[in-house]
Amino acid sequence: MSIARTRNFCIIAHIDHGKTTLSDRLLEFTGTIQKREAQEQLLDAMDLERERGITIKAHPIAMKYKAADGETYRLNLSDTPGHVDFSYEVSRSLAACEGALLIIDAAQGVEAQTVANVHLAEKQGLKLIPVINKIDLPNADIDTALKQLEDILAIPAEEAILASAKAGIGIEEILEAVVARIPFPSGKAESRLRALTFDSSFDTYRGVVIYTRVVDGTIKAGDPVKLMFTNRAYEVKEVGIFRPQLPKFLVQDQLQAGDIGYVIANIKSSVEVKVGDTLTNSRLPAESPLPGFQEVQPMVFSGIYPINTADFEGLKAAMGKLQLNDAAFHFMPESSVALGFGFRCGFLGLLHMEIILERLRREFDMDIIATYPSVIYEILKTNGALLKVDNPEQLPDMSVVEEIREPIVKCFIMIPNEYISPMMQLIMEKRGEVKHTESLDTKRVMLTTELPLNEILVDFVDKMKSLTRGYGSMDYEQAGYRAGPLVKLDMLVNGERVDAFSSIVHRDKAEARGRALATKLKEVIPTQLYQVAIQAAIGGKIVARESVSALRKNVIAKCYGGDITRKRKLLEKQKEGKKRMKAIGQVNIPQEAFIEVLKTN
Amino acid sequence: MISHLYAHIPFCPKVCPYCSFYKEASDRNKTQAFLDAMLKESELHAGRLRPVTIFFGGGTPTALSTPQLQYLIGGLRQRIDFSAVEEFTIEMNPATVSLEKAAALRALGVNRVSMGVQSWDPGLLETLGRVHSAAQARRSYEILREAGFDNVNLDLMFGIPGQTLAQWRESLIQTIALQPDHISAYCLTYEEDTEYFVRMTRGEYRPDETLDAGLFEVTMELLGAAGFEQYEISNYARSGRECRHNLAYWLGSDYLGLGPSAFSTLQNERWKNVSDTSEFIRRIASGEGAADFREALDADTRKVEQIAFALRTNRGVPTSLLPTDKAAQLVAGGLLREESGRSYLTQRGKMLADAVAEDVI
Repeated sequence: MSIARTRNFCIIAHIDHGKTTLSDRLLEFTGTIQKREAQEQLLDAMDLERERGITIKAHPIAMKYKAADGETYRLNLSDTPGHVDFSYEVSRSLAACEGALLIIDAAQGVEAQTVANVHLAEKQGLKLIPVINKIDLPNADIDTALKQLEDILAIPAEEAILASAKAGIGIEEILEAVVARIPFPSGKAESRLRALTFDSSFDTYRGVVIYTRVVDGTIKAGDPVKLMFTNRAYEVKEVGIFRPQLPKFLVQDQLQAGDIGYVIANIKSSVEVKVGDTLTNSRLPAESPLPGFQEVQPMVFSGIYPINTADFEGLKAAMGKLQLNDAAFHFMPESSVALGFGFRCGFLGLLHMEIILERLRREFDMDIIATYPSVIYEILKTNGALLKVDNPEQLPDMSVVEEIREPIVKCFIMIPNEYISPMMQLIMEKRGEVKHTESLDTKRVMLTTELPLNEILVDFVDKMKSLTRGYGSMDYEQAGYRAGPLVKLDMLVNGERVDAFSSIVHRDKAEARGRALATKLKEVIPTQLYQVAIQAAIGGKIVARESVSALRKNVIAKCYGGDITRKRKLLEKQKEGKKRMKAIGQVNIPQEAFIEVLKTN
Repeated sequence: MISHLYAHIPFCPKVCPYCSFYKEASDRNKTQAFLDAMLKESELHAGRLRPVTIFFGGGTPTALSTPQLQYLIGGLRQRIDFSAVEEFTIEMNPATVSLEKAAALRALGVNRVSMGVQSWDPGLLETLGRVHSAAQARRSYEILREAGFDNVNLDLMFGIPGQTLAQWRESLIQTIALQPDHISAYCLTYEEDTEYFVRMTRGEYRPDETLDAGLFEVTMELLGAAGFEQYEISNYARSGRECRHNLAYWLGSDYLGLGPSAFSTLQNERWKNVSDTSEFIRRIASGEGAADFREALDADTRKVEQIAFALRTNRGVPTSLLPTDKAAQLVAGGLLREESGRSYLTQRGKMLADAVAEDVI
């Protein structure tokens, strides 16, 4: 297929605005798939993603389309992850394309996530084709949607295509616009190979499958190649394009400039394949890699520990397996006084963290606990040294700390007008500042705010959703560091500091949080043989205390010949149950406590 | 040689709503076949039996008539060497005691009686669904003494729904006044498959741990003051009147159980007979084994049991069998007492015996 008749594009949409349905219609209209059978969301493969209604991984698909001009085009459709945690991955997926369909729900209008992704796409220089979807809904408000398109996103309303993916309205118009408005790829097939790695997956038998966009040159089986950032060399075993149905991979003789496809090259670990890295021919290497590569930096950190120390190796293996498919997940061994041996893990965001924890529990059946999530703090020491700390435990003695700086995010929040005042209050509580307020239409406003990242880590989204009855949406981008009066809050159980419960918090909030944590721990720690004292401390000062009174009676009255087996089994079962708790000193702390602490604010 | 013999008589005049032992309402026709089956079962083990203690439990052994008891015990004597027997206990329900029966049992060599009084309070006896009255229990006790039994245990129960601390104290005082040789005081347990359990799950009965703890404390206090030694969590005896049969269970000796649902433990094996009288009779008659549950006991398992059960007694356990750090913690926490290489539960430790056992096994 000639490069002039290739179009690479993706779809930008807020959750539920119809991305999946529209993708399906495009695939059907082009005859790439037959009318959809039972499986509803083809692109969202992972259960967890499906449960949360989000896509994390991008799965590209190649379509053939005979356009009105009589020519046949190859259209490569990439899916983009829908969550800000994955914004670098989104940016690389976007970089593989020349254009994007921007879907806006006619009834809901522009959402915060849409704004953030449009910003990303514009940075990549993508041609945007706005699609007002769901125009057949009774509550569709096309005029408002078009006005928002101009006012908020600065995109001319006349460019918009009115569509209903569900009803099949506007599908051909969209495909024609893809062909007509999105430029063909600009690379040269005769240049030296430069291919953008925008994603990868792992196949047990064949190793890493690189998802690539060939920018310049060609690539085929047998080529010696290397990844320019890691400087690792491989031999290409197979290249091809993606199909929506199985087999997912369709072998091709070669991929050339402008193509989106996959490369298999006997790569054993996905850690070697970094999103954004450039694949080139190792015999005839390109002079410079493609721009925009960054090593993905985790934003959120947490310690993950096995409940039973004996599971350490098993946990390590499980994490290794997860990393095969998710190179953005980082882990390295660490040890904790309270929790023993475990791993310090880095995540792109809290959602990413939740997904990993959930997968470790579900897919690998691991009994684990996670410490309170932390962001990366910058510590300026009195001697002028700057230290980066992602674990409250690494905080140096406060006498040598000049200031602690915390990461700030710029957060876009869109809410119906009537919720402004509780929203403002929430933002204040979270130490945020509203920089800018903008009316989106007669019903909604967008608040541009600055918030400390650690304040929105745990429950901000949930609170925002609940106080706007689900109508609010938000997204954020990083906005540097700011110094603040931050302190380390410790929790002590029977006088022993449990590092898993430590957190860095704002001084004004530390006491209240200490009290809340102590109360919560009192609730979730079961009564045991001894009284359990729970204390919250800032520096050396105790700011809250609670106690769990000791068990009074726990003895079965009758134990005769026939009871011995039953009784022994009961004891063994209880003992087994305890193993699912973490023993800290003499105190058994259930997994639940560690989870509840995450939720306490 | 097995020194401890148990025989399970699975008949009751009426089934109590809290009891989870295997039993059925008496059935005249089945009884004779049952007695024959039990005698036949005893023959299978006669060669390795030389009991020092015998315990007839149930059910209600005295639900059997005097001739039936004579037939059974006489039959056992013919098959098993009774020459070493020192303690021969039978459980009785106060409603099934008569002077004639008591005298007959004495004559058969029974020298210890355990009588299920449970409570002296008419209201609580009704709650427990017992067939006897307080007056009947008192009368039965007198009969036993008249018949010459000088080793009598009275069973009492606390934690009965509706029972107050004052009522329990009164029950204990009345019991002490009778001067029994032994008192078993059990905290009511809600066992699965009982009417009580169902009523608890329905919320009609609400076990109260704090009240139970208080009742247990009073029990230890009053019985201790009256000269009873608490030689096991729920068992108190005058000097020399401990139940040697039950001690054998707790201290990990081998024992043989006859009859439906009876357990036996012999070295590295434990088995349980089928919990169905008709099926028991059928199996014995056809020469099949009566056991329908078996488990192998390795050394570790027996050690775990030894710790868990011996710890409940005033014999304690060798400290060397306990994990050092745990034992030290428990001593520091006031739950264990250490003396000459053995560890014993303290008063608070007795209230938490299961949690302590779980901690050290």
